Amino acid sequence: MEAFEKLEKVGEGTYGKVYRAREKATGKIVALKKTRLHEDEEGVPPTTLREISILRMLSRDPHIVRLMDVKQGQNKEGKTVLYLVFEYMDTDLKKYIRSFRSSGESIPVNIAKSLMYQLCKGVAFCHGHGVLHRDLKPHNLLMDKKMMTLKIADLGLARAFTVPIKKYTHEILTLWYRAPEVLLGATHYSTAVDMWSVGCIFAELVTKQALFPGDSELQQLLHIFRLLGTPNEKMWPGVSKLMNWHEYPQWKPQSLSTAVPNLDKDGLDLLSQMLHYEPSRRISAKAAMEHPYFDDLNKTCL
Amino acid sequence: MAANFWTSTHYKQLLDPEDVDVVHPPDRERGITVEDFKLIKMQMVTYIWKLAQHVKVRQRVIATAVTYMRRVYTRKSMSEYDPRLVAPACLYLAAKAEESTVQAKALVFYIKKIYADEKYRYDMKDILEMEMKILEALNYYLVVFHPYRSLTHLLQDAGMEDMTQFTWGLVNDTYKMDLILVHPPHLIALACIYIASVYKDRDTTSWFEELRVDMNVVKNIAVEILDFYENHRSITEERVTAAFSKLALKA
Repeated sequence: MEAFEKLEKVGEGTYGKVYRAREKATGKIVALKKTRLHEDEEGVPPTTLREISILRMLSRDPHIVRLMDVKQGQNKEGKTVLYLVFEYMDTDLKKYIRSFRSSGESIPVNIAKSLMYQLCKGVAFCHGHGVLHRDLKPHNLLMDKKMMTLKIADLGLARAFTVPIKKYTHEILTLWYRAPEVLLGATHYSTAVDMWSVGCIFAELVTKQALFPGDSELQQLLHIFRLLGTPNEKMWPGVSKLMNWHEYPQWKPQSLSTAVPNLDKDGLDLLSQMLHYEPSRRISAKAAMEHPYFDDLNKTCL
Repeated sequence: MAANFWTSTHYKQLLDPEDVDVVHPPDRERGITVEDFKLIKMQMVTYIWKLAQHVKVRQRVIATAVTYMRRVYTRKSMSEYDPRLVAPACLYLAAKAEESTVQAKALVFYIKKIYADEKYRYDMKDILEMEMKILEALNYYLVVFHPYRSLTHLLQDAGMEDMTQFTWGLVNDTYKMDLILVHPPHLIALACIYIASVYKDRDTTSWFEELRVDMNVVKNIAVEILDFYENHRSITEERVTAAFSKLALKA
């Protein structure tokens, strides 16, 4: 690991620290994600292995963070450490939205649109390669402020899916962006779970506030039901057979414009398709890219 | 692990047979021949199978482990990477990559149970260290595709579901060879279906025609598999032991 000079710590994840570093040979700035190995126990954590193997597969898309290399090194105690070498991105969508919230300004419409398009494109690429992200949220979307590019990161929970898709572990998504079928304990879920998250992020880009900020699974569901109406068999066939289904207070669907007032008609239509209750009818990332909302976006440089 | 084979790194990593049957210089110096090389790898497949039965992992974990092991030996010598350690370490790594983690401790326990021979004795630390070396040797490319899923779909399509067990067994046996490093998995599945239909006297000609695959490739794979079965009969315990004893020789 002498090839890199650590400049500063920029973050700390579940499995270790992230540094901004300079590659000595080229002067290039990179992000080093350091992964501790469980001391003397079980070697490389499975989530790290999964992230590496999936990034190895997806790293060619402009909207997926690029894994440049994997290096083995030793820490001070002589234990093996893995470094994932990523391209460096200067911010993430969470920080970006927060900066607008504190200044009181709105995110310019064309920028929100461009970011959304890039997000859909990255997600479409993942899905096209048989990979679910499972943890899309503003914090995991890295950005280059100057170029206004967005890249999907943190594929630690991602996994390649096989068709038919079934029985993934629960307890994976951050609650706020978690799809209702996951909250209700569906055992078969698919690409639609990512599209729900994309919808939540879309609304947040417009209002600068999380759309459904629940702090427990039940509360998360109630947030959703209050806006979109309590689902029933007619709106979502099969919903009452899901494992965690109970009787809930009955809300009628509200117009999305009450929650996301500054979005135009096309935007609201796209958002409503992303937040469709029935997963199989939720819009796909690829179809979303074709939606009229993006018609006036200059896509040539994206 | 993933759904799209054609865009995968597995597809890009397919090798020519000539690049697979290469005995590395340190092994050659010990007198290991291509035949010995194949025999030892085959023996290690059996080893991975036995271990896998004890720790109870799915078929695809076994298949992935075998694929890792075979990939490692396209790049590394057996003199430097002892097969008797590489085999369990590949199973360990494959179990993680396929999301059905097996404890290193459990592996060590069953290794002792299966083999009394000292040469198989490795502890947890060895397995963990070898895991890292294997990751490097594989250059961290861990996603592997297998014929099993295509097999199920293809049998359904051909209306040959009654042949599932027979063809599944054939696919299992293909891992005793290097086919998975050389051919796309669905063609291996088709070759097994082809063998089954000839063997059980089913007319599948029109079905194969509709698939629009290169039948020559399918038939060639089928011949390779049948050749393997033919040669398999002449493999004796002595030949395996002899191959392993060469490995133990100091060059």
